[in-house]
Amino acid sequence: MSSPVIAARRLSKWYGQVIGLNEVTVAIPPGISGLLGPNGAGKSTLLKLVTGQLKPSQGEVRVLGEPIWGNPAAYRRIGYCPDHDAFYERMTGRDWLTALLGLGGFEARRAVLVAGQALETVGLAAAADRKIGSYSKGMRQRLKLGQAIAHEPELLVLDEPLAGLDPLGRRRVIDVIKQWGRDGRSVVVSSHVLHEVELMTSNILLLNNGRILAEGNVHQIRDLIDEHPHTVRISADDPRRLARHLLGYSHVIAMQLQDGAVIAQTNRPDAFYAELTALAAGDEAGAVRDVTSPDDNLQAVFSYLVKH
Amino acid sequence: MADSIASFRGAALRVFDLGIGQMLWSRRTLFMALVAGGPVLIAVLLRVLAALPVFDGGVGRIDGRPVSLDGPDIFGLMIWTFYLRFTVPVLGVFYGTALIADEVEDRTITYLFTRPVARGAVLAGKYLAYLVCTAVVVLPSVMLVYFLVVPLLGGSIGRNFPVLLLDLGLIGTGLAVYGAVFALVGAWFRRPLLTGIVFVFGWEPIVVVLPGYMKYLSVAYYLQGLAPHAMPQGDALSVIQAALTSVQTPLGTGGNLGALAIIGAAALAAAIRVVGRREYVLGQ
Repeated sequence: MSSPVIAARRLSKWYGQVIGLNEVTVAIPPGISGLLGPNGAGKSTLLKLVTGQLKPSQGEVRVLGEPIWGNPAAYRRIGYCPDHDAFYERMTGRDWLTALLGLGGFEARRAVLVAGQALETVGLAAAADRKIGSYSKGMRQRLKLGQAIAHEPELLVLDEPLAGLDPLGRRRVIDVIKQWGRDGRSVVVSSHVLHEVELMTSNILLLNNGRILAEGNVHQIRDLIDEHPHTVRISADDPRRLARHLLGYSHVIAMQLQDGAVIAQTNRPDAFYAELTALAAGDEAGAVRDVTSPDDNLQAVFSYLVKH
Repeated sequence: MADSIASFRGAALRVFDLGIGQMLWSRRTLFMALVAGGPVLIAVLLRVLAALPVFDGGVGRIDGRPVSLDGPDIFGLMIWTFYLRFTVPVLGVFYGTALIADEVEDRTITYLFTRPVARGAVLAGKYLAYLVCTAVVVLPSVMLVYFLVVPLLGGSIGRNFPVLLLDLGLIGTGLAVYGAVFALVGAWFRRPLLTGIVFVFGWEPIVVVLPGYMKYLSVAYYLQGLAPHAMPQGDALSVIQAALTSVQTPLGTGGNLGALAIIGAAALAAAIRVVGRREYVLGQ
């Protein structure tokens, strides 16, 4: 059996009196792994410990066989896409990526070349010389992914990389992640939406209240999750027109319009997202700006799982 | 050892490349330009006033007493009052404390701290960017003031030029030392800006006039000892200058320079160490 890309032993992190992660022992294998949990479950804390941003309060974590806290040389092997939306707004996408590659030790001319390739991969080649401040939310999300993959790390650590993306952007990012896995490299991707993670991998780690709830293949758990209605918020240019189309789907069980968005409930998220993507690709329902899934979906499921 | 120093220096220079553009085109630089532009405006005003009859052949009056002054005297007074006691420490506080704090507040620190560079090199690179950025704005302001004020009332630009060079060096030294001290404050304290302001406007003005050894725990005390301007004697101006400069230091030029070098180097080294070991938890 190949050695784990991430090995944590009794790993805990406290923020003062608040427990972020509680005695987590886990070995994440090579390949693509999903980290799933509701808001506040400890996903971001675990990923920040894994990327050496936080120091464990207790226990230890090794990444690609090396200790990570205070070991910047190991960061060369890791690409990290944070969940927060923060950039040097006045720089262009190309300049920003080039500068970050420079920090990674890339020689200037090669950094420019590699930055261009990464921007191409995430579909931002046409916007590469625009200031980041002018990018849409989806473009910013893809740029974050671009800076994580540009230096071709062995391990990609992605914190909610699909949040705020439109359906086509979502598809693109999922394709990039799956390709990364097919190339024999490893990815740990966090999300609070199970079906999103399932599109990338079946190897899932369930986290709740700072503890590992389950790990491995979660098809059985998924069946339980499907019993619960899944809520989706879709921002669109013409929400009424979009709502009329969505009403035609048998798996949409409730819907309402709110602040220029359609809030839909479905009992078959996979089918819903597939059809929504097809709808967004066409023109009949107008432009779809972004799709989000509120955290309480998973929180309800987790409460259900904990009870059973 | 040599490899790690070269690697640290290379990383710091790359952070400098990234940081200098951000720093130069920030709102803080606008503030800095205003601060550095104040003395220039005053210098222009003095040129206008010098043309008025209140100044009589280089002799002014304060409370009816004649005061002999010329351009170099006024320039010296402005260097001490506006630059060394205000602009330099204020810029040190606002930039120095923000070297890391700004990146943390904007959450862009994540991108720097997940790169294969020592965290201390991030601080060192940003400190270099601060030095260049402040020097680019403040030193031209000093030169403008020099050319506006020194020729007043018979002062000679050429004869006083070495004084300008000394002043530029002194201000550069002040920026470097205050920047290092406040980089440490920024790395260490939770409310660095408040701590810095208390240090500059509360602690330093008091301790430099107190008898005893407390004055040694300030930067202003050593800077004051390096001020090249001779104190005019026997008139009201000397009283004003004496009040502003407070005390003379017994250390001599070498001693003061040495003290400032030690303070700056120790503060910067400590700041690098603190940033290297400290955990920055970004709020959700």
